Amino acid sequence: MSGGPQSSQLVSAPAAELAPAHARRGRVAGLLAVVAAFISLIPVLWVLSISIKPPDEWLAYPPTLWPRRPTVTNYQVLFQVGNPVGTIAAMTRSAEPVMPAVVNSLIIAPIATAISVAIGTAAAYAVSRYRTGGPMMPFLTLTTRMFPPVAFAVPLLVYYRSLGLIDSRLGLVLMYSAFTVAFSLWMMRGFFDGVPRHIEEAAMLDGASPWRVFFTMSLPLVKGGLAATALFVFILNWTEFLFALIFTSRQAVTLPVQVSRYVGAIGRFYGPQAALGIVASIPPVVAGYLIQRHLVRGFTFGLVK
Amino acid sequence: MRWSQALGRFFNGEKVFQLTLVAPLQLLMWVLLIVPTVIVVYLSVVGWQPILGVDWWQAPFVGLENYLRVLSDARFWEAVGRTLLMVVFAVAAEFALGLGLALLFRAEFVGKRLATSVLLYPMMLPWVVVGFAFYLVFLDRGPVNYLLTSLFGPGAAVDWFRYPTLAIATIVAADIWQWTPFMFLILYSGLSALPKEPTEAAMTLGASQWQIFRYITLPMLRPVIVVAVVLRVLEALKIFDLVYIMTGGGPGTSTESLSLYIYRVGFVYGQLSYAAAMAVVILVGIALVTRLAVRSLELRLQGM
Repeated sequence: MSGGPQSSQLVSAPAAELAPAHARRGRVAGLLAVVAAFISLIPVLWVLSISIKPPDEWLAYPPTLWPRRPTVTNYQVLFQVGNPVGTIAAMTRSAEPVMPAVVNSLIIAPIATAISVAIGTAAAYAVSRYRTGGPMMPFLTLTTRMFPPVAFAVPLLVYYRSLGLIDSRLGLVLMYSAFTVAFSLWMMRGFFDGVPRHIEEAAMLDGASPWRVFFTMSLPLVKGGLAATALFVFILNWTEFLFALIFTSRQAVTLPVQVSRYVGAIGRFYGPQAALGIVASIPPVVAGYLIQRHLVRGFTFGLVK
Repeated sequence: MRWSQALGRFFNGEKVFQLTLVAPLQLLMWVLLIVPTVIVVYLSVVGWQPILGVDWWQAPFVGLENYLRVLSDARFWEAVGRTLLMVVFAVAAEFALGLGLALLFRAEFVGKRLATSVLLYPMMLPWVVVGFAFYLVFLDRGPVNYLLTSLFGPGAAVDWFRYPTLAIATIVAADIWQWTPFMFLILYSGLSALPKEPTEAAMTLGASQWQIFRYITLPMLRPVIVVAVVLRVLEALKIFDLVYIMTGGGPGTSTESLSLYIYRVGFVYGQLSYAAAMAVVILVGIALVTRLAVRSLELRLQGM
């Protein structure tokens, strides 16, 4: 990043002259950035707003961003707590309970994440330190992300039918770990590559076993990376839709699928559906916020340095 | 205790250590990639429909029949064309907006960190929720139409989901909204990693902002741009969730994406073998299309 003393001397004069222009550009950029950020909030603000509107305001025209009569009824209906009153209470009876989907997502996504990260991290260490499996091995794992999941779903249906895994949490856990392991491998490889080797080598010379070095030295050194990888893989597992749609029907339905089919018998059930959408978005958005700084690495597999 | 010692020495051997580390992944890759590929090719040359009550290994061999059917299936090729169209428009817009934002964010300003957080969050949302949000926003009586009518009078309201072109536009808009942050993120990090000396030298030589961007920044950023666009194109080709939730492929089949069509053929109409043949066709297609892209990626990979 920093140039030598020579280069800093070279630019010091023009940089000083440019300062006011730079500051002005900063203000313009700041304004534009705030506008862009606000625009990017609108669609979800709209969902949030509908989630706190009573039924007669869901499609009120002209639409109101801030509800005339804000209410938590939609959330109550969703989780069937308290005694929601009015038309919406009648509609409630026609809708499916959502708690099973919440529970399923809370079980499936974290377990799949743990498996994916464990397998991916182990392989990443071998690849980073020993180039195990040759240069093609990490690349081959990426093909699982390259092709449309629906193409894998067709043959996997054959597996799942014969193993009795259709509509089971275990079935989704296995599938999710398998389809996110490529990310675990590539992210962790990037983090392991960033750790200097000489510490490990010194310990090996002192007679420590490779397992001991791996668990007590290398892994603690990439703790931060491990957390970032886990959160990122968790977002993928939490938000996955296609496999859950195909391979579940009652027992193992996840939140995204539940959002898509939360429709009452009497027309669209916009308020509670919006509330469910908000609920389904909270965990990944929180996870995303926590790993913001590591995201670049996560998405680009360390290609961009 | 000689046994356990021998066992310990065995597992501590470096070769065994390495193999143990990669074994679970290899197993997963076999179960997930190699065997399913064999199964999908097998399914594509038999005539299997689960509804007929015949198990998949007993289905009659039909040779290339399914493939011939793909070739003459107008709905399939329309879905291919439509998917490519969505990818081109979405990725082009995402690239332009992402680059613009990345350049904007090079300057320092108050609230930059907060703005970055807000800008990035669409990426974390479940796609289904993004689709639902855009469905609500473009609804007849939704805010977009309200904005249009208040700007251009009562005749300006549009029934967005009734006309194929407009419905596709709303889907593309949702994709752009969700994935511009991704482009921004990669391009911004690429920009911040560029060495400053060439730009500074050009500045002292009196080059204009545009010249610096066109002849220095852009060429240096090229590898990053390739990575960003390739990753995004591969991802956009899979488009399913947004279409499923926003239009369900309709009106008619006019917004159906490739993934949605295969999903329907296989899992709604139950023609697994025909879906398998289409899956093989697009697997080969994507492999061929990305070959060039992959080469440039590999160059970057080796530099790691």
